[in-house]
This record gives sequence, C-alpha cells and structure tokens, in this order.
Amino acid sequence: MRANGCASQIGMVLERNNVNINGRGERTMMFAHGFGCDQHMWRGVAQAFEADFRTVLFDHVGAGRSDLGAYDSAKYGDLSGYADDVVEIGTALGLHDAIFVGHSVSAMIGALAALKAPDMFSKLVMVGPSPRYVDDGDYVGGFSAEQVEELLEFLAENHLGWSAAMAPAIMGNADRPELGEALTNSFCATDPAIAREFARVTFFSDNRADLPLLTVETLVLQCQDDIIAPEVVGEWVHDQLPNSRYVLLNATGHCPNLSAPQEVTAAIRAFV
Amino acid sequence: MSDPLPTEDLADLYENAPCGYISLTPDGTIVKLNHTLAQWLGRPVSALLSHKFNAFLSFGARIAFETHLAPLLRLQGHVGEIALDLLGADGTKVPVIANAAEKRSEDGEHLFTRITLFKAVDRRQYERSLVAAREEAETAVLAEHETAVLREQFIAVLGHDLRNPLAAIDSGVRLLERETLSDRGQFITQSMAQSVARAALLIDNVLDFARGRLGEGLILERSDRDPLAPVLEHVAAEVRAATPNRIIHTDFDIEGPVYCDRQRIGQLAANLISNAVTHGASGTPVEVHAHSADGRFELSVTNQGQPIPDDIREQLFQPFVRGDGHRNQQGLGLGLFIVNEIAKAHGGTVTVVSTEEATRFTFAMSAMPG
Repeated sequence: MRANGCASQIGMVLERNNVNINGRGERTMMFAHGFGCDQHMWRGVAQAFEADFRTVLFDHVGAGRSDLGAYDSAKYGDLSGYADDVVEIGTALGLHDAIFVGHSVSAMIGALAALKAPDMFSKLVMVGPSPRYVDDGDYVGGFSAEQVEELLEFLAENHLGWSAAMAPAIMGNADRPELGEALTNSFCATDPAIAREFARVTFFSDNRADLPLLTVETLVLQCQDDIIAPEVVGEWVHDQLPNSRYVLLNATGHCPNLSAPQEVTAAIRAFV
Repeated sequence: MSDPLPTEDLADLYENAPCGYISLTPDGTIVKLNHTLAQWLGRPVSALLSHKFNAFLSFGARIAFETHLAPLLRLQGHVGEIALDLLGADGTKVPVIANAAEKRSEDGEHLFTRITLFKAVDRRQYERSLVAAREEAETAVLAEHETAVLREQFIAVLGHDLRNPLAAIDSGVRLLERETLSDRGQFITQSMAQSVARAALLIDNVLDFARGRLGEGLILERSDRDPLAPVLEHVAAEVRAATPNRIIHTDFDIEGPVYCDRQRIGQLAANLISNAVTHGASGTPVEVHAHSADGRFELSVTNQGQPIPDDIREQLFQPFVRGDGHRNQQGLGLGLFIVNEIAKAHGGTVTVVSTEEATRFTFAMSAMPG
C-alpha cells in the first residue's frame, strides 16, 4: 500500500511538471526554462549532453504541457513555490550531486532549490540570471517599477499567441489536447492568466540576500546586449556568490540556449 | 480579345504596401524596412537602419518579444498573429498585429527574421473592451456568489448559535416542572416545553435548508446495525411530552434491519408528527404507523381535520410554503421540504393523500442497501 502511495505521488509530480528524462550517464543534468517559454528551449543544448548525462527537462506549472489544474496562485505567489516543485521532481527522481541548469528566472529558482535541498545539486549553471529586475538604490537591475507595471498591463491586454494551451479548455475539449495543435504557435504555450502572474512574480522578485548563502559551485553565463538581464547584473551575481565562475558569451539577446546552443553547450561542458 | 494586364511595380508594392515590412539580422538589428512602417514609427528609414528593432517597441512589447516571441521564432521558424505596440517618435504607441518568419539558408542557418505588421488600432480597442467586459462580468458573478455564500453561512451560524440558549431554556423548564406548581404554572411550563421542542425542530430544519443551499446537500450516515423502532418511539414520546393534550397512537411492526440514517429518519418522523399535531383537528388522534416487509420500509402519519387545499398540495414540498388559516403556527414552512429532502437522500418518496376524513403522509423506501 505504502509503496503504491509513493509511486503514485512520484507519478503525480512527474506528470504535473511534464518531466521528460533522456540520455544516459552517472550524473543527472536538470534543465529549467524561464518566463515566456517551456522546456523546448533547452532541447538543443540538452541533446548535446545525452551521450554522457541523464537529462531531465520539465515545464513549470502553467507553462508548456504542465498540469494547469495544479496551478495555485498562493503557492506560486513567489519563486519559492516553483523551487519546491524542483525539489519535488529531484526527490521523485532520487537526484544527488546533480547539475541544475536554469535560464533567466529559473537561475534563481535553482538557487532556492539548492538552498532547500543542499545535497540534491552539486553544481549550478545560471544562464542570464537576475536576482532582482527592478533598480533599488545603488543596485542596478535594469527595470523601473513603472516599467514592470507597463509590462504586466501589456500582458493583460495582449494574447501574444500563448493561448495555445488554453484553446482546448476554452473549446470545452480539455481531454483532447490535439485540438490545440491547430493553433498558430505550438511551443511555449502558456495560460495567459498564469503568464501574467508568473511575470509579476518574476519581475518583482528579490533574491539578492540568497546569493551569499549559496555555497554550491556555480557558473554564471552572461549574454551581451541582454535587455532582461544586463551584464552589470550578471557581474553582480558573480560577485555575490561565494563559489562562482563568470563567462561572458559572444551570444547576444536573452536566449543563448536558442540563438547560440553550441557556445552554451561548450561553456557548460567546460564547467562540469 | 482582352487588353494585357498592367504590370505591378514590385518596388513600390514593398515600400508603400498597406502593411509594414521589416527584416532583422539574427541578433535583432534592422537591415531593411519599408516606407509604410517608417512612417508609423515617425522616423526616416535612415534613422532606423542598424538599430535594434526592440528599441522601437513599447517596454511591455519589448520584454514579451525577448522572452516569448524570439524563442518561439527560433523554435518554430515562424510566429503568427502576435500583438505588439510600436513606439512612435513622439512616444505614442501604435498597436499592430504581426506575423514573423525566419529566413534560413539551405543548410538551416538563420539569415534574417522577416516581420509583417498590420495596424490594429480599432481591433485592439475592441479587444480591450472585450477584456474589460469579461472582467466586469467575472467581478459581478464573484460578488454575487460571495454574498450568497455569506447569507447562507449567516443562517447556518445563527441556527447553530440559537441552539445554546434554547438548551438552557429547555433545562430550565425541566427543572421548573419538578417544582410544586399551581395548575396555571403547570400549564405554562407545558406550553413552554412545547414551544422549545418546536423551536428546536425549526432550527434543525433551517440548518439543513441552509446546508442544502450551500451545495453540501444532506449528508447521510446510513447503517442497519441498530433497530429503528426505538428512535421512532422516542420521537413520538417527545411530541407527546410537548403536547400532552393530544393523543398520538403508534403502531410499529418493523421486521429485520432498516438500512437508513436513523437520526434523519427520526427528524423526518418528528416533522411529520408535529405537522399532523399542528394541522389535525384538536381532540382527534394522530396515527403513526411504521412497518417493513419484503425489503420495503414504510412510515405513515395520519391526522383528521380539514383537507389540504388542492392548490397548496401541489407545492407542499417547496420551501416556505404555508397552509393558510394557521398564521404564526407553522414557522418558516421548511418542515415538509426537509422531509422530502431526507426521503430523496434515502432514495425514497413521500406521498400525501388528503380527504375530508383524513390526511395521510406516507414515506416509503427500500430497507436494504443498494
């Protein structure tokens, strides 16, 4: 009975976050997507590690093919709720000394998860991290609070093509997700209402105080011309982390895992 | 013979098309755009080339572009029907709908991102009003629901809180009954006991009604472990104690177990009996029969007196229905409604036959599970 209960609990977690496991190897590399996309954004990079690592890809609740019914505004009202999910996935898979690779806001989600479960991850890779997006005194995050409000307003007013996940539910066919496929955009689907809340949680988060506590070895991968996480923020993160390496990529923009997967793969490989 | 078709000027079609065209390098730098789009942006083409496209998007659109659209474009090679806000030279926002596609070389290298933009001022206005209307409707429904829940909860709490002082009055009356009282004193305590019993029944009914309306429904604890007859005897005895001037005949012939919620069936019987006492002609007896046979259980309560008028009989089991001519006697009119709800919860029925001779309510259900 008990074992059954545990097995179904594990199944529930893996299904909730649409966890996909590939590759072979002693060590596990877990990839987490950021705001605005889903696990597809890691596919190219993750595939490059499948020969010698077990790779774990997942969607945060509310994104991709996660279980939208599991979304709870209170639980996901700060990044800690997302970090709890990471720890639950890690526990379900029995992760130990694993590597966590987090893009954008998931860099901080990974940091929180590593603090919650110290033995789960022995290395962290932060791609385009920012512990706080909004400027605060001498701290430069790159955003003003007004700008974040403007972003939230924009998200509230525009469908942005991320209604794909919603469409089957809207049509009353939640049991037939294939109906959603006919829509224009099939990747990075997000429930628009959840996207808005995730945006608020992301862009108003402040995890600066957590960084000095993080003793796990960390690689900070910084892009050029990144308007979400500028270089000054990446340097600040590197500065605050007790045990980190900093690499400035040639890649530009906010998603080097998509625009320059080889460069990102090489940087991670050199680190692990 | 028809005239040859005139030739379209493709260069002019590009520059002055009724939509905006723009081409970007993979890192988002503008390499080409048409006159139409430059006009929307309020700047000459030369002032736009070599700049990042996202510099001419509103802040919200810029972040959405970087976090959602750019990755989507890389993954799919195209995105469609995307809403963006362009930033005009004077800071005004120009709402557009955009389609975008990556131009890739034969070996898959990303050469350009091509975007076609359509002005969508009216459409956006329309979408905004739709969103606003939906939000308004959602708020209204939510507020209404909250009020309803609050009202039902209020009833439930009130009913619950009324039980405590009523219990105190009840024990006070019982203590007084043990004292040596004058005839008048005995009469008063008896009628007090009667009122307390009726108030207790009313509170039970109101609570069940509120609970039913709250969507919880009646919750049954059915079992056939204990006999049902003692419960019915007890209910009859209670009514007798409260109305000693009325005769209540009971005749119970219950063979074997009855699968039911005994407390609920007791409540059903109490409602039917007190109903019969209230409406029956004074001086005439109330007959309570219960029997079970062949897997069926039946309970009937009969009184004499005026028959129930036809128009009232049809809605007898609706809440808040009162027979006329008995003002202030029947309380809220929930008794028969609760009786019917308890019967339904047991998969049974309540029927009524009312003639000049007698009025009889009969509750019937299966005595066995399933």
